Amino acid sequence: MINELKQQIERLRNAGATYVDARWYPLEESSDLTMWNGNLKNATASRESGVGVRVLYKGAWGFSASSDISQLAGLFDKAFDNARVAAERVTFPVRLAEKDAIQASFTSPNEIDPFTVELSEKVDFLKEMDSLMNQSGVVQRASGMTFMKKQIIFVDSEGSEIEKKIIEVFPAIQVMGVDAQGVTHTRKYQPGRIGATRGWETMDRKLFTDNAARIVKELNEVLVAEDCPRDTRSVILLPGIMFLQTHETIGHALELDRILGYELAYAGGSFVRLEDFGKLQYGSSKLTARADATLPNTPGSFGYDDDGIPAQNNLLIDKGLLVGAITGRQMVEEANAKARKPIFNGSGGANRATSFYRVPIERMTNINIDFGTDGTLDDIVKNTEKGVILDGEKSWSIGSNREQFHFATDIGWVVEDGEVKHVVKNATYRGETVKFYNSLTAVGDESTWEVQYVDNCGKGQPNQVMQLGHGVPVCRFDNVTIGE
Amino acid sequence: MKEKILNILGELRQYAINKGISAAFFYHEEDSYLMRFANSAISLNTNEHLVRLEITTYDGRKRAEYQMITDLNQVEQMKAGIDTAAEMMKHTQPLSYDPTIPLYTETYADESSYDQALAQLSNEEKLAYFNQAAEGLETGEITLSGIFSSGTNITAQINTRSEHTQYFKSSDAQVNLVLSHGAQKWEILAEQSAQQKADLDPAAVHSELAFLSHVYTTTVPQQIPVGTYDIVLGSAAIGDLLDLMNWIGFSGGMMKRGFSFTTQEQVGKPVFSEKFTLVDDPTRRETFPYKRDVSGIERKPFPLFTRGVFDGYTWVQDDADEYGAQPTGHTVMHKSLVLHCGDQPVDSLEALVSMPREKDLLYIPYLHYMNIVNPSRGLITGSSRFGALLLKKDGSVAVPFNVRLTQSLLDIFGEKLQWLSSTEKIANTSMSYGARNPKAIVLPAFIRVNGLEISHSNSAF
Repeated sequence: MINELKQQIERLRNAGATYVDARWYPLEESSDLTMWNGNLKNATASRESGVGVRVLYKGAWGFSASSDISQLAGLFDKAFDNARVAAERVTFPVRLAEKDAIQASFTSPNEIDPFTVELSEKVDFLKEMDSLMNQSGVVQRASGMTFMKKQIIFVDSEGSEIEKKIIEVFPAIQVMGVDAQGVTHTRKYQPGRIGATRGWETMDRKLFTDNAARIVKELNEVLVAEDCPRDTRSVILLPGIMFLQTHETIGHALELDRILGYELAYAGGSFVRLEDFGKLQYGSSKLTARADATLPNTPGSFGYDDDGIPAQNNLLIDKGLLVGAITGRQMVEEANAKARKPIFNGSGGANRATSFYRVPIERMTNINIDFGTDGTLDDIVKNTEKGVILDGEKSWSIGSNREQFHFATDIGWVVEDGEVKHVVKNATYRGETVKFYNSLTAVGDESTWEVQYVDNCGKGQPNQVMQLGHGVPVCRFDNVTIGE
Repeated sequence: MKEKILNILGELRQYAINKGISAAFFYHEEDSYLMRFANSAISLNTNEHLVRLEITTYDGRKRAEYQMITDLNQVEQMKAGIDTAAEMMKHTQPLSYDPTIPLYTETYADESSYDQALAQLSNEEKLAYFNQAAEGLETGEITLSGIFSSGTNITAQINTRSEHTQYFKSSDAQVNLVLSHGAQKWEILAEQSAQQKADLDPAAVHSELAFLSHVYTTTVPQQIPVGTYDIVLGSAAIGDLLDLMNWIGFSGGMMKRGFSFTTQEQVGKPVFSEKFTLVDDPTRRETFPYKRDVSGIERKPFPLFTRGVFDGYTWVQDDADEYGAQPTGHTVMHKSLVLHCGDQPVDSLEALVSMPREKDLLYIPYLHYMNIVNPSRGLITGSSRFGALLLKKDGSVAVPFNVRLTQSLLDIFGEKLQWLSSTEKIANTSMSYGARNPKAIVLPAFIRVNGLEISHSNSAF
């Protein structure tokens, strides 16, 4: 099959294509189990396979994909035809940043392949969690686990041949209750990186047992809590919401295709302009952010991107100063040309596709915030006069250029004079991105730093759902509007 | 192709029966084309042909599912999928209720929503559409983005309870064009939905864009004060709000799970304004309707809210099984929502702008990145985007920077609802996540809601 792909690539190159690549998924498997109030509502397994072909012709992309690989030549021709038509409307001919031809492989770390574990064992685990969460105050309980396993073979017209084998595990448990006003509240636990590998061993019974007890306890506290006040005060974001803050207002804002206007027809652009790199004070000096695809054992570390570029660890924000973006081969060339100076030194290795039938686009890797020197969570609380600790993503909404946002959280704890006072419910906060990050006044130490996973980041048209990670510490921001 | 699909489904059914397996099969085939524009160029031209098969096996109260992306030549692989689902089922646990396997009492096929001319639209025709719709509107600073998404969608079902099949085939197109200013960062949008080729009207899109472009290029944008406004919502914003309501407003399963702003006790009682009448109406071809659901129930117009009174919940088969309700024919990939028009004679944005007004009106055509803040209260939040206007009472028009609206659906469609336009529009609410699923909502072109609070106002785009 690989040889056939190479032959087709060569054929299109001889026909005038500037660049051709193919991603062959011999087999992608997934397994999804959901238990709701003791009922195994969903026990689904799936498989898919196919080929996606990308052709660059006269500065324009064509793409075609099919699950039927018996007509490879036709598939390649279709991609080429799509590129020919696209070439009729080109304003900035696509150029690809230089790269080395690579022959390599990557395997994500796991000890126990979850697809070798009996279904009955998985169901037993869910039943156990469901039973643990079946407590007073809990009216709905849900537990689930999703496993993915895919083999991707990438070949291109520049001599690269890369094989990737990736396993992902995304478990979650959650409880829901109804307060005296009839409002439903939720607490959940979704483990991020909890070890050196992410196979079935992720399903650590003690960890889940402890967290099941915690979320039930916290839910019951929320159910009798008072509403979050409308106020302006410090917010202390735990990793369970800081990851999403980072995701929406640093990650998405710094995708270079978005900055260059390639997402304007859909999820929007970015307030960041090319002239901002090296100049914009994105946040306070306590803010250092990076796109780190070399961080071991997360969905944001994948060895090589779908341009065939090795994983990298790139600074995005250095002590508050904007210095980098999430990039792939095409966009860095366009950005440098449009800026009339070299902002980016080659691809950042972040071009990924969610499946064989989608085209690679700039996606987050692990968009992390470096931990700081302001101590533990307790230390930060002690140094907070008037604030609220927030945790658990409930809703998120951002402006069309990621310039402002509104988040709701599952739980809040009011802080007064350096002490945690009481729980509040229906907590929300909002802000303007640059102003917000410049009000970052405390960054927790390593003890507060956690890697959270995202399994459902949507972007692009046709839309793609991607998996990635965020390593984030506890962060405190001052003068934030809450309770709206 | 239809015969081949149904024959294969019949073969799979027989294979399951021969092995003593109770099974239901859901077939989905898409031929999808998407031409994407950015920076006034075609940034991507793509197509995908995908065949999906979902196999659900049953054994009393046990159930398991196996899904595959495959092709019609892989029948043995599909049969292996039946074996896998059956094997999985042995290791699942019984549900607390009896899941229903549909009983199809007759073979049914509906291809009335399919227009070959639309489905087979060429690349050249799509490019010509875009060129016409944007003609003369692009400049060095103002660039074109957008999509032309079109395709064919086929779904088919069979199960081991009967030899009858269901088969649905439709064509669709979703077009949107965005003009954006590189330096000022404003964006304006015009959209079109098509079920047949004759629905495509690039001149109408051009007219909308030209009007908004003129306003935006001749008016200095401004930050408006936060506070309370009378707001006119455009069709895209209304469509997205109704899409959220579909999720947290009248789904029986969501209500039972605590994620609804309505309660069982509200059935038969006023929930919204008397001006609000919402129906699930599969007779409207513009909604890419399913005239039978997966359970085989014939779908007829189903009132949801009549003059503000809550008519009742929709129940998908599995939720109905679990909660002891009657399924209502809503086990479908999407409903066919129709919000009845009102009597306000305003048929275009130009007409809206020209209307005499007693006070300032904020026009919001589109709500970006909406999310549900509190489902129990119907509370949503989102930001204006794509061509908002401040229509001043003195007749002048200003361009506001984007604003945030955090409000309950109960307010938006409740007593604050002032009027609905008498002109109808189609809001295509299709997403390109996962399997192709064209959907659209028929609704008034505009609604006016008085006294909504703007909680944040941008100082720039």
